[in-house]
Amino acid sequence: MTAIGLSFSTLPTEILQAIFEYLPPRSLVATSRTSKRLKVIADQPIIWRYYCRTHFSFWDSRHNIEAKFAGPLSDVDWRALFLERMDTEKKTNSILEEVIATQRNQIANITKIASFGYDAKHTLLQHYNVDDDAEDVLARKYYSNAILERIHREMAIKVWKDLGNGVPIDIERALTAYDMFTLSTAKGDFDETRADLDGLAKELLKENPGFQQWTTREQALALATFLRAREFKGVSDASYSALRNNFIGIVLRSPDHESLPLILVAIYCSIATRLGLDARPCGYPFHVYGLVFSQKNKTLDGKDLSSGKSQEVMYIDPFRSEQEVSEETLRKMLRDMGVPDPEHYDYLRQSSAREVVLRTARNIMNSCQTIRQTEAASNRGNAFHAPSWISTYPDLDNAFYGTLWAMLILGVQAEDSGSIISIATRRRQYLPYLCEHFQQHFPWDVTLVEDYVIPLLYDMPEGQRLLQYANRIHASDRIQKPITARTARAASVKYKVGHLFNHRRYRYEGVITGWDTRCGASEEWIRHMDVDSLSQGRHQSFYHVLVCDKSTRYVAEENIKLATGDVRPSEAMLKLAGRYFKRWDLVNGIFVSNIRDEYPDD
Amino acid sequence: MAAASTSAVDPAKKMIMLTTSDNIDIKVEREVAERSILIKNLLEDLGSEGDEPIPIPNVNEAVMKKVLEWCEQHRKDPPATQDDDSDSRKKSTDIDEWDQKFMQVDQEMLFEIILAANYLDIKALLDVGCKTVANMIKGKSPDEIRKTFNIQNDFTPEEEDQIRRENEWAEDR
Repeated sequence: MTAIGLSFSTLPTEILQAIFEYLPPRSLVATSRTSKRLKVIADQPIIWRYYCRTHFSFWDSRHNIEAKFAGPLSDVDWRALFLERMDTEKKTNSILEEVIATQRNQIANITKIASFGYDAKHTLLQHYNVDDDAEDVLARKYYSNAILERIHREMAIKVWKDLGNGVPIDIERALTAYDMFTLSTAKGDFDETRADLDGLAKELLKENPGFQQWTTREQALALATFLRAREFKGVSDASYSALRNNFIGIVLRSPDHESLPLILVAIYCSIATRLGLDARPCGYPFHVYGLVFSQKNKTLDGKDLSSGKSQEVMYIDPFRSEQEVSEETLRKMLRDMGVPDPEHYDYLRQSSAREVVLRTARNIMNSCQTIRQTEAASNRGNAFHAPSWISTYPDLDNAFYGTLWAMLILGVQAEDSGSIISIATRRRQYLPYLCEHFQQHFPWDVTLVEDYVIPLLYDMPEGQRLLQYANRIHASDRIQKPITARTARAASVKYKVGHLFNHRRYRYEGVITGWDTRCGASEEWIRHMDVDSLSQGRHQSFYHVLVCDKSTRYVAEENIKLATGDVRPSEAMLKLAGRYFKRWDLVNGIFVSNIRDEYPDD
Repeated sequence: MAAASTSAVDPAKKMIMLTTSDNIDIKVEREVAERSILIKNLLEDLGSEGDEPIPIPNVNEAVMKKVLEWCEQHRKDPPATQDDDSDSRKKSTDIDEWDQKFMQVDQEMLFEIILAANYLDIKALLDVGCKTVANMIKGKSPDEIRKTFNIQNDFTPEEEDQIRRENEWAEDR
């Protein structure tokens, strides 16, 4: 019937192309294998560009994909690019399976996936969104998220490194780097934040049709009014120190847009730049203002500038009002603070992107400190509270870790005053915190330390020591973990890997991740912890445990009180447990071990 | 038709005449025929009252009737929106129930409808046709696709092997 007359393979090219656009790539390939003519049409770049555009939401920056999409079709081998991405997807899948399956080569494997950068993001998100009843749900969620966070951190660190090397970086980008440190699986990355700001600029132009004809002053005030009308008006004293107020991406996406003055001014300046204004933040004491410059050789009101100056400036305080703030007011306040006149310029000038990043680092550190102090105070009673990291948004530890990186990379610069020695000393001061943090929470960041920290400490003893330390981490990553089996010798070890418990004395919630038949810590630790004063002393089983506050500890058997009956792990514990466990076994009330390569019988 | 008396008042209801490739005249309400952008433009260009029959030399009577049946069903659909980023969204192959039934025709008719929709510039109908064909391909192996559409395999075994190797990524899932 179709042999004569019209048939599929004789349809005009344009019709076949239209049909192919509705096919998933695999079906297109199957079709292309049926005949020569269909193969020629299926191989045409337009359909593969369409696939590239619709299949991948995230592209690593090395592709420069927006320029490619905007450029001529024939400039890119779209089919090859699509196949490359499919190959990356496949590799990401198989390496992730290995990460979940064995602790051996974990760092090497995580680094491999991380090297795909944003190309791996979509695949990792798919794994993260695995069904709750999956056999290894906790491990899959944990490691897909951990690798994604590792990728985000490297993107942030690269931005700061560029900034440190004098590459011009927008303030919005320099600040979004903090968001990247805490992003996890949420929205608000570099591209999304940029798009949010683009959107606001577009809205303003739509609302103010004559905007482009207005004077600089009128435009600057209109932008302040526009932002304040959209609830971008700072934050009340009550929630001033909330951590999220420091994150430009979070502020843009939150409904109330609460933010610190610095972030609000950064948003102001970023939109102003899109509108053709020259606006920069001004780092005043205890506050940040927006500084708007007139057009070259013009006044703010658009007249020719007759005086010797080439530009006028005005100050804006969107945190407090739609109005302009006069320079005289600012100078008077400085005088009231006791700042001598010759130093006023330091507080009235524009801040560089680097200064803004560092000021934010200090703001974030302050917020973290406040939260930790509050937590310590509320824990002073006997009852154990849920750790604050689970209720803090964004993640407290990730935010703090971000500031350590910012300080280390940007805190001290060669051009800063001071000798080489003092620069080294100042860099050194962040190093122990950074090392402690990555070692405890993300040992796979060792490759970030090698790529971005060690070069900064080149020629210094710390650099050498750090290098040796990194090599040790890699060496132990390559070998199989020593196996601890349940031999006769271990008969007295009462509890198993995966048991959920509360500490008898400190009450915290923990899970067992390993054990020794007797205390295996150093003599110094034993003495320091007063182990011998325990009723069983050092000759009892000791357990490596993961605590819901993210710490890992070493606990004597007599201090362990197993969770009983229908007790379920807390939300905080479920988030952390994936590092060692596959899932929570509801029937038996125990975490299912994912470290059988180390404890085969548990 | 009983509507004849109102046709003077409502131009959408006015009957116009189409002449198909096999020289058959078909009477149809203007609003229905104007689902075809080609016919709509022709009517506007001619500026006539639509008294003259409009020749449609690329479509025969059987296909034209089928196309007009679709136009009748969809006469009140809002005009196709020119979505600017249609190129950046994955296209769904969902088809509504009436259209699915409508497309249950033999393959030759299906392809005729697609060609006619393309020629007459009825985008929504063209889309439904393409989706229908795509759904016939989805999930099938090359052999199954050949069988479905009676496609002659003109590759040498060596070529076949080569293409299979190039596309190994598409095999596993």
